Amino acid sequence: MKTGLRRVWRAASGPGSGPGRPEPLAARLRGPWRVAVAEASMTPSIEAGDWLLVDPTIARWPRRGAVVVFREPGSDVLAIKRVAGRPGDVVPFAGSYLQLAEDEAWLLSDATDEDVAALGFGGVVDSRRYGPVPVSALVGRVWFRYAPLARIGRIPQGPATRT
Amino acid sequence: MSLISRLLAPKATAHAHCDLPCGVYDPEQARIEAESCYRIIQKLSTSEDAAFRTRAIAIKERQADLVKHHLDTLWHDYFKPEHLEAVPNLHQLFWDAAKQVSKVKASSSLEDAQKLLDLINEVDAAWKATGGPSKTRVAGRPG
Repeated sequence: MKTGLRRVWRAASGPGSGPGRPEPLAARLRGPWRVAVAEASMTPSIEAGDWLLVDPTIARWPRRGAVVVFREPGSDVLAIKRVAGRPGDVVPFAGSYLQLAEDEAWLLSDATDEDVAALGFGGVVDSRRYGPVPVSALVGRVWFRYAPLARIGRIPQGPATRT
Repeated sequence: MSLISRLLAPKATAHAHCDLPCGVYDPEQARIEAESCYRIIQKLSTSEDAAFRTRAIAIKERQADLVKHHLDTLWHDYFKPEHLEAVPNLHQLFWDAAKQVSKVKASSSLEDAQKLLDLINEVDAAWKATGGPSKTRVAGRPG
């Protein structure tokens, strides 16, 4: 609870939104608190059609392996991926390495290009396509699946797959 | 949808984003850019103005990159392993064409540009031999 309070305090007293800064808490409280999933790049842990609960009160990138909802750079549509690299991490990219800035995360899909090709898609779209994602694009952490009935439960904080 | 599921359904959708290929492919895209290169090389020989020539060369290089992009898209996305039966030299053909684009990028010889157009003709024939016009265009190739 203590860290929760601190988080609220930091968010409420913080300098507000801006490039690289998280949205202020008041804006984040508007949600979304629930999302429906479309498309297949998080298969098999999260499938298209799943209904998920989101915690939108977080203002920093959660730990590696957490699933997050964010606004996709460039398009601004709500997207869902897994945190593969936290601010400051060095991630492998394009045969070399990339150091993330203090407000950036590296977000990857669970599925491979082959997985989604089998479902009729043309390849996954994630940080390998649009680069690091700033914390200002973070919408929330996914923590629970409440539908379909057969797969209700907490979303496992898997190890970050294939960085 | 029942009342309960309507109440429970999230209003927001989060995309586990993958590419959705549009499935429209046509070697004509590559050909038009290759023809640009051809025409620019023709114009290059008519002018001694250094500024004009620099600009023309920059544009030729840009259009040549587009040729390569369109050829790559055909090769990677349109052609499938089963097409190798109808076009056994497919990989060699695309390799030759890509190499020829590189040549056109660096050269100011019309002959090189013509050779590229010839190779794109072959790609076009391969596209037709594998049912490209009916499979990939919305209503076949116009005209």
